[in-house]
Amino acid sequence: MDSFAEQKVPGGKLVGVKLSYGRKIKSIQILGDFFLIPEETVFKIEKALVGTSVRASNDEIVGKINKVIAMSGAEMLGITPEAIAETIKLAIHPPEAKI
Amino acid sequence: MEVHDAYTNMSIDEAILESIRDNKAEPTMRLYRWKPSAVSIGTFQSMEKEVNVKRCKELGVDYIRRITGGGAVYHDYEGEVTYSVIAPLEYFPQGIHESYRLICGWVIDGLKRLGIEASFVPINDIVVDGKKISGNAQTRKQGVLLQHGTILYGVDARKMFSVLKVSNAKISDKMIKSVEERVTSVSSYSKASITELYEALLKGFTKGKDFKLGELSGDESSRAAELAETVYSTRDWNFSR
Repeated sequence: MDSFAEQKVPGGKLVGVKLSYGRKIKSIQILGDFFLIPEETVFKIEKALVGTSVRASNDEIVGKINKVIAMSGAEMLGITPEAIAETIKLAIHPPEAKI
Repeated sequence: MEVHDAYTNMSIDEAILESIRDNKAEPTMRLYRWKPSAVSIGTFQSMEKEVNVKRCKELGVDYIRRITGGGAVYHDYEGEVTYSVIAPLEYFPQGIHESYRLICGWVIDGLKRLGIEASFVPINDIVVDGKKISGNAQTRKQGVLLQHGTILYGVDARKMFSVLKVSNAKISDKMIKSVEERVTSVSSYSKASITELYEALLKGFTKGKDFKLGELSGDESSRAAELAETVYSTRDWNFSR
């Protein structure tokens, strides 16, 4: 299944995710007008998130992102790992699908 | 002031970055315009989601992905000046916020020379009376800092929103008014020509610094041409997201 969601981080930038998933995330692209230095870190974050269960908690997703950021010595501006995790959940469970 | 197409402009910035990395060039500042006019998107943005490519083709507007983050910018040939600052990291504060503040201060100094009181708003904006007049984007690669930014000289909101991807329903007078309430330009505050804006920015950027006006080295020119052909003009790069 393919899905897309985006949201504006309050006081920050826009973050979007383009997802392909079944029970697990098959592929993901993180989009937006944020800053992440070095920029190549985004590929490492996306790679780390492939295979993540769609039932994973936000904390689990945030943990994976923070681990990559720490290992890369990267700096993220305008969005947060929490915002990426929330946007992934939004793509998997869009508001219209909620009962 | 230099004038190039989008592919050449972005390639020159990267060629200079490489040259400084290899200790073959001094810290460099550029002031330039885009001809034909162009849309640049941030490195993490989706071209298809941000840009009306069909409309760009109709209008002869180029579209390109930058190596820096940030948002989509419409670089109108008549209505905008772009700068870039490229230098070893040790010339700048370690913190990204602080280095944005320093370089944006040079833009603010330039605007002040035209009687425009602007201020820096983190992360990367410069505003006048609460309206954005300049957006800026920084990257740091291999020990070198590259920051480029746009200074709006005039705003054609209708054209801007015909090339940036906003649904037709949103291109209403209401929408354009809303944009004009959030964005401003030099021409709203000053009768300065775009050349006078360039001269003011040049003074703002070079104040207190030893500098000389120069040209690209032969190596930089050939590397820029290579990057333009093999990266910046390619669909693989521009539509990679």
